[in-house]
Amino acid sequence: MTTATDTAAAAIAKIQRGFQDSGYIASDAIATAVFIAEALAKPVLVEGPPGVGKTELANATARLLDKPLIRLQCYEGLDEAKALYEWKYGKQLLYTQVLKEKLGDLMAGAQGLKESIARLHEFDDTFFNEEFLEPRPLLKALWAPKGAVLLIDEIDKSDQEFEAFLLELLQDYQISIPEIGTVRAKHPPVVFLTSNNTREIGDALKRRCLHLYIPFPDARLEQRIIESRVPALEADLRAQLVAFVQSLRGMDLKKVPAVSETIDWARTLLLLHAAELDPALVRSTLNVLLKFQDDIEHVDTEVPTLIRQAQKG
Amino acid sequence: MTQVLSNFIKALRASDVRVSTAESIDAAAALDLVGWARRPLVKEVLGQVLAKTPDDKQRFDDCFERFFVFEDAQLTGGSGDGEPSDGSGDGNEAQSGQGAAGSGGGEGGLAGLLESGDTAALQQSMASAARNVQLQNIRLFTQRGMYIRRVLEDMGIEALDDLLYALLKADDDDPRGARLKEAKARLVESVAEMVDRQMLMYTANAWPKLREEVLQKTPLARIEMRDFKVMQELVRKLAKRLVSLHSRRRHVSRRGQLDVRRTIRRNIEYDGLMFDTVWKRVRVDRPKVIAVCDVSGSVAQVARFLLLFLYSVAEVLPKVRAFAFSSHLGEVTHLFEEKPVEEALTETINTYGMGSTDYGGALAELERLTMADIDQRTTLLILGDARSNDGDAGERALRRMHQRARRVIWLNPEPRAFWNSGDSEMQKLGACADTVEACRTLKHLERVVSEIARTAI
Repeated sequence: MTTATDTAAAAIAKIQRGFQDSGYIASDAIATAVFIAEALAKPVLVEGPPGVGKTELANATARLLDKPLIRLQCYEGLDEAKALYEWKYGKQLLYTQVLKEKLGDLMAGAQGLKESIARLHEFDDTFFNEEFLEPRPLLKALWAPKGAVLLIDEIDKSDQEFEAFLLELLQDYQISIPEIGTVRAKHPPVVFLTSNNTREIGDALKRRCLHLYIPFPDARLEQRIIESRVPALEADLRAQLVAFVQSLRGMDLKKVPAVSETIDWARTLLLLHAAELDPALVRSTLNVLLKFQDDIEHVDTEVPTLIRQAQKG
Repeated sequence: MTQVLSNFIKALRASDVRVSTAESIDAAAALDLVGWARRPLVKEVLGQVLAKTPDDKQRFDDCFERFFVFEDAQLTGGSGDGEPSDGSGDGNEAQSGQGAAGSGGGEGGLAGLLESGDTAALQQSMASAARNVQLQNIRLFTQRGMYIRRVLEDMGIEALDDLLYALLKADDDDPRGARLKEAKARLVESVAEMVDRQMLMYTANAWPKLREEVLQKTPLARIEMRDFKVMQELVRKLAKRLVSLHSRRRHVSRRGQLDVRRTIRRNIEYDGLMFDTVWKRVRVDRPKVIAVCDVSGSVAQVARFLLLFLYSVAEVLPKVRAFAFSSHLGEVTHLFEEKPVEEALTETINTYGMGSTDYGGALAELERLTMADIDQRTTLLILGDARSNDGDAGERALRRMHQRARRVIWLNPEPRAFWNSGDSEMQKLGACADTVEACRTLKHLERVVSEIARTAI
């Protein structure tokens, strides 16, 4: 039993190192989720506030496993034709036109309507085979020769019908196409679903997934993230910057800054050759962190206090 | 191992985390993969497999901490203090372990354990005894004593008692006897603690659930102030359920197809040439609700709940205008939108409440304020007991609004038998409403709102 734990722990640590090499700093929870998802072939539903790296997780996993990333962006009104497959109508039409002349040859010698139709029946499947199938992301993920990482982004934006349609895919990694039959994945893809919780995801979908909640990172993790993303930034300024952002998150704001905004800010400060945080600099770059005028005005008066706190810590 | 897991899942379910059978299987598979040895890893893995919402995660964390806790000091007095703090790992092993030391409690087994000061073994023995007597089935407070006794018996307390009796009979001040006696007292205490803990874990949610069920059926007038918090939660749950039912219907109705009939009709002016297409689209008419609540002295008991209900309705239905009145009437929509529920309710009652009711004046005022806004999509919802202090009942104003509105629903918090008695004008006012319902409990409220939501869409 201990050996099982040790192997698992080693595998998780390895995943974490792999992520780090590709520039994604993952917490234990994230690495564990990826490990289990891969081992049990289960999709992962990733939830958390916007900008904590939900989508980036799928990117990093694709790099780590060296598999192609296939992304499906959900929106209201997304349906099977756009998510799964579509027939190449144009190609089908063109081919029938081109082959029209051939038709005479084929029909030559056929006695009566019945026989002609019988002959036609021998060919009808030609137009409904995989040649004429336009694969959309979901089908692409199933067809991928070496497996793939499938990212179904912002599932909460899609309709409930689409969610139900996903169940078959997520449970058995197969999909039914009426004209062809069931398409089954040779290598089950690693599936990530992300959600911003604009609506409650159905229980049926949740039951089939692992559930990973990514919160805002703590100061130490965030420093490591900045270190890996903006390596040129000095350690001292990095600590101040992270402390500043962390205290912003504690304030009552319309939209608190996410990790992606911290990274943007770090890049901005680097670009301005800032040596340390000072009120004028912070005020002039606050719009990188905060996206609402109300928030900026609200924070503006507090800037000196926040900076003092950040520099002390 | 699976026994521990299924007990844990049982405890999870008891604390209101919904765990399906499929998820239990997943959990077992995931644990096969990572083993039990590292507590943080086990917690992380189980958390991801079993708890699927932030609320569930919170409850899962609490439950996990409570379930996998094993304090190992105290039991054998001083000697136990130096035990490793990583008690949980041992605990897991102990619960599922073979419990060789425990069951049966051979000659001097328990006494030996107590004297040796082997905390881990004693823990193990306790856990396996708990398993033998199926402590996880404990349901009621009254079973506590019985289970304590059973666990102790399973551990071999009888043999210990015999030994103690023999020792102390021979010599009253026998040092070994005194030590054992003390150790036994500590053992009994810790077994009692364990039973308490288990009871809490498996029944944590039983009481609140029962209370909620009872509250749902209790007449609003008789609900006490201390239950207000629970009620608030209940009403919110109700509203949430209605919202989810509701939004689904709206989605379905949005799908479109060509509406042949209306296309032909529209294109008549172009000599029937179909170029202006009309798509089928079940119109989502957003119900407009105007809700009026009586907050006078006669319904003071109920008024808070009616308002609470109004507040929740405002969340369910997109367009709600809320009014409150006793002696005079005023709009409180802005209060409901801007303030948290408790503040809004208090302010409403302070501003409009506790006067003597004047239905005539209130309905006339309502007509003046809203008549322009009432159309064939408006539902007028009135909550009140129709007791107008023998003044004007205001049925003429109500009739005029009824003629213009889609419908008028009157909810009366009094039981039907009391209607029309004394100064109740229910007969006059009820005649101007499409639906008249007694609305005494939360169940009634739920039925009414879902009815509005269903037929309004």
